[in-house]
Amino acid sequence: MLDLDRPKIEIRGVSKTYASERGPVLALRGTDLTVNEGEFVSIVGPSGCGKSTLLYVVGGFLAADGDVIIDGSAVKGPGTDRGVVFQEYALFPWLTVHDNIRYGLERQRVAASERDKIVDRLVNVIGLSGFENRYPRELSGGMKQRVAIARTLACDPAILLLDEPFGALDAQTREIMQDELLRIWLETRKTVLLVTHDVTEAVYLSNRICVMSARPGQIIEEFVVALDRSCSREELVISEPFNSIRNKVWLSARRQALAAGKQE
Amino acid sequence: MSQLDLRASPFAWRSVVSVLCFVAFWEIAARSHVAPAILLPPFSIVAEQLWYSTFDGTLAADLSLSLGRAICGLILATVGGVILGLLMARNRAIEWLADPLVALGFPSPKIAFLPIFILWFGIESVSKILLVAFACIFPVIIGTFSAARAVSQLFIWSALSLGSGRLSLFLHVILPACYPRIFTTFRIAVPVALITTFTAEMVAGGGGMGGTLIYSQRFFESPTVFAYIVVMLVIGLMLDSAVRRFQHRFLRWAEE
Amino acid sequence: MTHFPGKLLLSATRWMVRIAPLILFGLVWHLVCSAQLVNKDFLPSPLAVAAAFVDLFSSGEIATNLTITLFRAAVGLLLGAGCGVWIGVMMARSRHFREYVTPIVGGTYSLPKSALIPLFALWFGIGNLTAIAAVFLACLLPMVVNTYHGVLTTPKVLVWSAEALGTRERELWPRVFIRNALPDIFTGLRIALGFSFVLAISAEMIASTNGIGKLIFMYGENGTYDYMFAAICCVVIVAFFSDRALLVVTRRVLVWHESGAFERERRRP
Repeated sequence: MLDLDRPKIEIRGVSKTYASERGPVLALRGTDLTVNEGEFVSIVGPSGCGKSTLLYVVGGFLAADGDVIIDGSAVKGPGTDRGVVFQEYALFPWLTVHDNIRYGLERQRVAASERDKIVDRLVNVIGLSGFENRYPRELSGGMKQRVAIARTLACDPAILLLDEPFGALDAQTREIMQDELLRIWLETRKTVLLVTHDVTEAVYLSNRICVMSARPGQIIEEFVVALDRSCSREELVISEPFNSIRNKVWLSARRQALAAGKQE
Repeated sequence: MSQLDLRASPFAWRSVVSVLCFVAFWEIAARSHVAPAILLPPFSIVAEQLWYSTFDGTLAADLSLSLGRAICGLILATVGGVILGLLMARNRAIEWLADPLVALGFPSPKIAFLPIFILWFGIESVSKILLVAFACIFPVIIGTFSAARAVSQLFIWSALSLGSGRLSLFLHVILPACYPRIFTTFRIAVPVALITTFTAEMVAGGGGMGGTLIYSQRFFESPTVFAYIVVMLVIGLMLDSAVRRFQHRFLRWAEE
Repeated sequence: MTHFPGKLLLSATRWMVRIAPLILFGLVWHLVCSAQLVNKDFLPSPLAVAAAFVDLFSSGEIATNLTITLFRAAVGLLLGAGCGVWIGVMMARSRHFREYVTPIVGGTYSLPKSALIPLFALWFGIGNLTAIAAVFLACLLPMVVNTYHGVLTTPKVLVWSAEALGTRERELWPRVFIRNALPDIFTGLRIALGFSFVLAISAEMIASTNGIGKLIFMYGENGTYDYMFAAICCVVIVAFFSDRALLVVTRRVLVWHESGAFERERRRP
């Protein structure tokens, strides 16, 4: 029952309180967000504003007040329809590259021959052929993140949740990974929800950007990003439309960051 | 040993219930003669015996003797171990000399050396103190050595650029940086000291808690056996708690 | 492949440099004895000890007793480690279990396990069971604590990733928690191995008629100190090599662990 008018992800009035040493902390307050199928939505905001929390709630890792509806049904817990990539890579250190990518396929009881095909294809896609039998400890940060993305893609989730996936990488690697991610998204057209503090990254990758307020988090502003991504990165990043949107988003995010600073 | 502190959890009634159940079970099992009274004296009888021993001074005498030996040995081991560990970290020749000896000594059961210590130093306190020192020194050496080696270059460079001389560098940067690790190994060494003292006393006599314990066992005075074990348990707990509180008070800055 | 003999020579040389201080130590020992600086009774010469060592081996006396001791240590270790891991996992899984079990586990931490040897001797008599029981209890605690810690420190992003990839609740334990705890478990195992030797020998010295602990003690009482020293050397060597063997196994099993993590645990720079 495919209702093409229904959004893929609906977040309505989600609030989340954490217990902490100094008493309960309200991380999210009445957050609303709608994401349509095939959209690439970024959430930017000051650190501690709750954007990661929102992502974890959508992923089903944290329970919260309010509704999170995916494809018409409420989220009850983690699921293979929502693939997740963390900043810390979260690769299983005891499994090789090959076995990490294969992991989800094994859990889904995919046939062995099919499994190997998918893993081999993905290893090629991320450009790590020859590294299948390495352990995560032998890989660089960028390589680890690629494996993490491949592992998530292996299960072909309809939704990708990315929590500051490139935050731990150096600037050059980050740019390369952003291009990779963009390429994968253009090919597969999955619904992507990206959390990042890097405004430029958000503008480069997404077609919609949501700015979150300081804690307790709420979506304060939204920006539609309609850029012509057919040109090269160099051209795009220098172009006027790119920078105009980037400046607007940056100012909005900065306002929130300053407000957060005042809070401390 | 892991930093996990099993006793740090807030007051949990289940834990109290557990202990009470244990004691109750013990009392009931003993009273209902599940096993002969020799093998399992009731808790109440054990408590009674404990009371007597405390009163007539035997417990106090034994306890102070054992603790005295353990503490002397511990202090010797800590001072000696820290000095050796630091020397090994500073001087390659000393490290080369000591390395195989430490490598051999660390995994070996030091209690096996007890007969040598008895041969050389007799069965009174000296042999036991030295054996305890011998048993406890290895972890201290190793802990100090690796801590001294691991002092971050960044600390040293910062200190040097702030005008620290060599001695000052040692006393005010390297040594304090080692304190947490040294303290952790000290904490590990405390139960080792107690075990070694009690075992040495049990094997070789010479009084103390272990001596009385084995004596009671040989004469089937089981209430005393149980009573002394309970005391050892309590002493172990108290010592560890004292050490932890000391650590909390003075080494707050290093706590995880 | 032409590098091979060169490499072998290099590592043999390195190894010899490392054990050279022991040879020095032996020489000093020999000099002290021949110069008769110490009473001969207190310190038998290394040659006498070596002769005694050979004699013990050829007569099979050491072999028999060593086997007995190792048997006791091994049985206690395996039982203690197995139960310890199980208890540690259960403590991590269930808060209720943890609250019930903590005072008992915490209590045994402070109790010197060798203090229970006379009690066990009272209950089980003089022999294998006493020693095994003592070893069992001593090995239990480090395994419980380390397993618990290992499971508890599993990064939550690892658990979440596993869940998002379709791992069921039940499967999380063998696939994620216990795997993550393996390094800690092996650390605990190394500690438990050391304890197993200490307790086995202590039990033999206190309450046994056989085993290498008893042998050492007996030689001491009889005054045959060269045999006593030889037996002690034997114990040291066996303990050393079993520790090394465990390290080798550990490095194999934990080949995926941060490189150098187990190298760093060892004392060598």
